[in-house]
Amino acid sequence: MKLAFVTPRFAVEGVVGGAETLIRDLAQTAAAAGHEVQLLTTCATNPHTWSNDRDPWEEVVDGIRVRGFRVKEDRDLGVFLGVQDRIVKEQKLTRAEEEAWVANSITSPELMSALENEIAELDAVLVGPYLFGLTLQVSEAFAEKTWLIPCLHDESYARVGLIADRFRAVRGCLFNSEPERDLAMRLYGLGPECGGVVGMAIEPFEVDADAFARKHGLEGPYVIYCGRQEDGKNTPLLFDYLHTYTERRQGAVRLVLTGSGDVSIPEKLRPYVLNLGFVSEQEKIEAMAGATAFIHPSVNESFGIVLLESWLAGTPVLVHDKGEVLKWQCQRSGGGLWFQYYPEFESLLDRLIEDSELNQALGQAGNRYVRSTYNREAIAEKLFDVLEGKIHAQ
Amino acid sequence: MGAEGVDVEALVREVRDEVSRKREEGVYTDARIGRAERHNLIYMADSEELLKFYLNCLKDGVHVDINDFSIEDKRAGWKGKGLVKMKTVIWKLLKFYTFRMWHQQNQINAMLVTALESSYKQSEKKINELEKRIAELESGTSE
Repeated sequence: MKLAFVTPRFAVEGVVGGAETLIRDLAQTAAAAGHEVQLLTTCATNPHTWSNDRDPWEEVVDGIRVRGFRVKEDRDLGVFLGVQDRIVKEQKLTRAEEEAWVANSITSPELMSALENEIAELDAVLVGPYLFGLTLQVSEAFAEKTWLIPCLHDESYARVGLIADRFRAVRGCLFNSEPERDLAMRLYGLGPECGGVVGMAIEPFEVDADAFARKHGLEGPYVIYCGRQEDGKNTPLLFDYLHTYTERRQGAVRLVLTGSGDVSIPEKLRPYVLNLGFVSEQEKIEAMAGATAFIHPSVNESFGIVLLESWLAGTPVLVHDKGEVLKWQCQRSGGGLWFQYYPEFESLLDRLIEDSELNQALGQAGNRYVRSTYNREAIAEKLFDVLEGKIHAQ
Repeated sequence: MGAEGVDVEALVREVRDEVSRKREEGVYTDARIGRAERHNLIYMADSEELLKFYLNCLKDGVHVDINDFSIEDKRAGWKGKGLVKMKTVIWKLLKFYTFRMWHQQNQINAMLVTALESSYKQSEKKINELEKRIAELESGTSE
């Protein structure tokens, strides 16, 4: 098949979010399976400014022809932010306002033009994540050949009427999990024929579980969180819970953080926190491998890459009961547990710290699950079964 | 896909039962837990259990602590002793001038929690009666 993947930013290690990483990985999976794959993206690298940080370029990466096009820089930011503010407040919008929001979001007329020239030769265009102007414009212009990789969350943007129309118009969707697919079906009144659950390949690795503690002179158990530290990821809840836990258990555990964010750590928790900021992939997986548990309190995920990495490192996870996707991963794998409120969190963390046999069994179950479900062959099979129409939603 | 090794559903159920039992015993009646739940209420808004639990935590955390406490200083010798004496005097003055205000605040806090709890109990009672009545009507046993 001839496939074109489209995403606003190209995933280079450490500089993009999970959705862009996932789309690049799917492109790699398709290329490795012998298909002709290209990836069209923009010259922007900074998600805050969306300016053209580099010149248009073309290169071959892992067998994928990658091209970067300029973003439209003269967008009306005032209009965009004005409508966005109303979306966040869940106010009713007119169709004209929704269209103005898309037109002034991240778009690239040059990329659209290149795709227009090549669309006749392509079997499919795979584009995501769902809330960018570029994604919505591609979904409209080439609806009959477009597969949306939405990375959908239950949030105010998902309820914009124009977005609902795009979900209904495209050829189909590639979802990361069953709860994500169920959410799309619920929000947009779609049937099971709307697409399939694919996910992404996670490369297995072997790691020294003691390396991180040795390097940082850590003694005693620690838990870990990797990723953005922000309200949307429910990080304040993690900090409050750990603060209370260290007070009630006289500092029985430390917290290791990787990634960045603007959530302030409670003063009394700070002595128990090792906040590393951005670290290399190797250091991240070493930190995961030595942890008692990976705690992921977010209730808004479509896949949970770090959860799967944690299992590959042999570490069990603790997630929030309302995080449908992460809980679904725990239930399927047997590698993690979930809490509704603090007393359950405390009791589950006590067990993970005190019962090393249980801890190990959970980590191993998670590891087996990732290796069998998210290996490249399995993902390639699911991807092409969906694209070739052999299966719909599972 | 089944889990090999650990039945996580059963384990979570077991922990929930254990937590329920401990909650009855008052293990979690702790103002610090009430504080920890402030970011959780939005996600657990539909959980009757959490609301009940949170109200209990509030009862424990509602009072501003205006009791005396041990005043210490890490510095040794006359300097440390002098600082402890000075801090003790400052605390006594502070307490003298603010006691009335804190006392009133504590009264207001206590009244608010009592009102909230009474309102919750009244609503709960009304809903129970309505549910019972609906069940009777649906089963045709109503007179």
